[in-house]
Amino acid sequence: MSAQPKPIPIHQPSYLEGGGPLSWLTTIDHKRVAVMYGVSALVFMAMGGLEAMAIRVQLWSPDNHALSAATYNAFFTMHGTTMIFLVVMPLLLGFLGNFLIPLQIGARDVAFPRLNAASFWLALVAGVLLHMGAIRGGLPDAGWFGYANLTERYYSPGLGLDWWVVGLLVSGTSTVLTGLNFLTTIIAMRAPGMTYMRMPMFIWAMMVTSVLILIAFPALTIGLIFLLFDRFFDTHFYVASAGATPILWQHLFWLFGHPEVYIMALPAFGIISEVLPTHARKPLFGYPMMAYSMVLIAFLSYGVWGHHMFATGMGPVADSAFAITSMLIAIPTGIKIFSWIATVWGGSLRMTTAFYFALGMLLEFTLGGLSGIMHAAAPVDLQQTDSYFVVAHFHYVLFGGSMFAILSGFYYWWPKITGRMLGETLGKWQFWLTVIGFNATFFPMHFLGMWGMPRRTYTYGADMGWTHLNQLETVGAFVLGIAFLLFYINIFKSLASGELAPADPWDGRSLEWSTASPPPAYNFAVIPQIRGRDAWWILKYGRAGSRGVAAYMSGKAANPQLEPPAAPIHMPAPSIFPLVLSLGVGTMGLGLIIDWYRIILIGAAAVVLSVIGMGFEYPDFGEQSHDPEHAPSSGGVDLRKIGVWSFIGSECVFFASLISTFIVYKSRSIGGPGPEILNIPLTSFSTFILLMSSLLMVLALAATQRGDRLWERIWLAGTVLFGLIFLGGQVYEFTSFYNEGMGLTTNLFSQSFFVLVGFHGAHVAIGVLWLVVLLVAAMMGELGKSRALSVELAGLYWHFVDVVWIIIFTLVYLMQTVSGA
Amino acid sequence: MSDVTETHEDTIPHPGAATYLIIAAFLIVLTVMEITVFYVHPLRPVLVPVLLVLAAAKFALVAMFYMHLKYDGWLLTGVFVFPLLAASVVIAALLMLFAYLSHHLAPIT
Repeated sequence: MSAQPKPIPIHQPSYLEGGGPLSWLTTIDHKRVAVMYGVSALVFMAMGGLEAMAIRVQLWSPDNHALSAATYNAFFTMHGTTMIFLVVMPLLLGFLGNFLIPLQIGARDVAFPRLNAASFWLALVAGVLLHMGAIRGGLPDAGWFGYANLTERYYSPGLGLDWWVVGLLVSGTSTVLTGLNFLTTIIAMRAPGMTYMRMPMFIWAMMVTSVLILIAFPALTIGLIFLLFDRFFDTHFYVASAGATPILWQHLFWLFGHPEVYIMALPAFGIISEVLPTHARKPLFGYPMMAYSMVLIAFLSYGVWGHHMFATGMGPVADSAFAITSMLIAIPTGIKIFSWIATVWGGSLRMTTAFYFALGMLLEFTLGGLSGIMHAAAPVDLQQTDSYFVVAHFHYVLFGGSMFAILSGFYYWWPKITGRMLGETLGKWQFWLTVIGFNATFFPMHFLGMWGMPRRTYTYGADMGWTHLNQLETVGAFVLGIAFLLFYINIFKSLASGELAPADPWDGRSLEWSTASPPPAYNFAVIPQIRGRDAWWILKYGRAGSRGVAAYMSGKAANPQLEPPAAPIHMPAPSIFPLVLSLGVGTMGLGLIIDWYRIILIGAAAVVLSVIGMGFEYPDFGEQSHDPEHAPSSGGVDLRKIGVWSFIGSECVFFASLISTFIVYKSRSIGGPGPEILNIPLTSFSTFILLMSSLLMVLALAATQRGDRLWERIWLAGTVLFGLIFLGGQVYEFTSFYNEGMGLTTNLFSQSFFVLVGFHGAHVAIGVLWLVVLLVAAMMGELGKSRALSVELAGLYWHFVDVVWIIIFTLVYLMQTVSGA
Repeated sequence: MSDVTETHEDTIPHPGAATYLIIAAFLIVLTVMEITVFYVHPLRPVLVPVLLVLAAAKFALVAMFYMHLKYDGWLLTGVFVFPLLAASVVIAALLMLFAYLSHHLAPIT
């Protein structure tokens, strides 16, 4: 540690103080939510790690039967699922992202604190659901990417895959809500003066990651919904004998899956970009290029999913396109690596454990990137597909990249989070054991893969020549296990008797180091005014960075963030509803799987009640700004509007996936009615109704904005009525199809039609409910000019439902004679 | 719930009822044109491009005027248009990939 400022007595209670244990169940403080994410992820990490060690025990020797084949399959499936969805993402986004975003941008909380709490509880419910198979029906066993049609009921008849599908759907929902929340927070809640080009690089990483989440997760959601329909309602979205293609799952999964790699890598890049400059005591080298390269990585990551599918035979054009984009992504990644090296180069280095892990990440991730470039070459990839080479590659990226960065971040921000230091000696032991164990475990996999050892193999013959390297890997895994054991010991020791942390133990550069360790509930006693990049550094040392002149450091002035606030700061009140909502969702999933529909109804009732409850809790619609001095940084656009638009953006990809599937499947349908059954006159009428409902909606908004309460009610009632007429038309249409012999499971056309149009209908129904609530509020005199934004937000959703129908009417109904792909 | 003063931040005021009615008229006309194109058999060869253009026009009118993107500045347009482009990429890519698959695999009988 460098020279510390004089200890300043802190007069603020920290966010960890106050309230009993039950207060954690109702908390909506982003820091407490972050801690809950961290604790749950550490528990899941222990489980996933033990599963990995069991896998390595099984592969210790040829023809080994330490585990049964079924248990082995379940363990590698759960290891992958757990580490990705319940450990790496929650640690990066839920734990570090949640804790740091408001602190680094100078805000008091995230944009939607209740939604944030709901995201955590949903993530926890997802984790429980994913492991419920251990109690009933067996663990899932089809691999973390659950390739169709192994996941169909015929091949996986137990409940394991059911838990997996429902658990991942809940987990995905939680992640999308988190992405929406973070994006809105970063756009709208930055402290005055914090322009985009003054944001810490971690914030850039979280912003870009949030966008990726919003456009990548809907594809997984749709893939899982199809699988859910196949398993629960006997459709055949992935059954080749019905004309479907299991390749559809691969496309939807990897449309999500490759951006997902960057959803786990970009925040890691952000962490390293904070740790290295602080420890080198230099500004981040090439800040603008670092930011732009992050955007470019995200952009390209959306166009490379096909490199996971070269072996499926996509054709030379597609192979070439995906190969080129996959190679291109190395350019911005290379920019980042060179910038990190240049940041450290010539710096006055402080050799802490956090810095060790950051340097370790730089080396190990680069190795993973180099093997990744090999996969971009289709002919090479064909040799490596489904071999241990791939296992080596993605562990170098996700462990060498993400996990090393997470550990670096843990050591770096732990003092801020807990107010105590982690032990440096134990930390360095952990680092070296991690480096040794990690490379001993995963580097030999490159060779085993090239020698032909397939991934996921239960065992192997003695004559294959793979024994010694497998034994080295198993030893490495146990060394890694010891390293993590030291990590957990370090954590417990720190919490029990760790050295107390000052506010700024590393002589940090960003705003979180200006607050107490741990920070007060409101984060900042005074909203900081930002004068440049490295905001806290400039406040400490001045713009030129001349050391020793800072008023705070020399004790000439007190840091206002460490003083009590001049006036009480209003923070949002705790709420039990996020927990109730999540339990309701979990109960619905449970009821669906154990086939007990009353349970589903109970869960649905809890969800509806908690949504209504949260609506009534919403304090004066004022959550967007907890402090009058904190003007929004979004150019004046209300953050709820940004949130709704972000959600709408995500929904675009959701419906695009549904529409693509319909077009692909309508001409692959075997037997039964086809597009000719569609009733154009009826749907033309419905189209007019929905379009006119949009007109009534904007008229209602205009009436609200001018304070005309009579016409506000009339137009809102008209919109509800037209929405109900549209829904009635859809019910009539579906019923007539059923009477004509076209049910959900009749053929590919019928199932893709019913799911697409049905989901749109469900959106309309939700819109009608929303409008009914507004209508009731209007009838009670609760709307009016001052609440026009509430009408506008409902209107945005309603119009989006309308534009989706415009597309469906054209592509599904009017183009019925056009053959599909 | 208590009343609060809503800050109205838009740089350009939202249009009034007259504009909304004009847009509705356009939407009706465009929808009539779509249905007409569907029923007029000589137009079948250009069915797809004409319908796509008409649908895009309706989409744009609703997004720009009813959803106020025309008035609300670049930020919200960016938040919407980027995912919309991603969605378009998804549709185009999947259709092309499956078209290739269909033409190079034996038909299922």
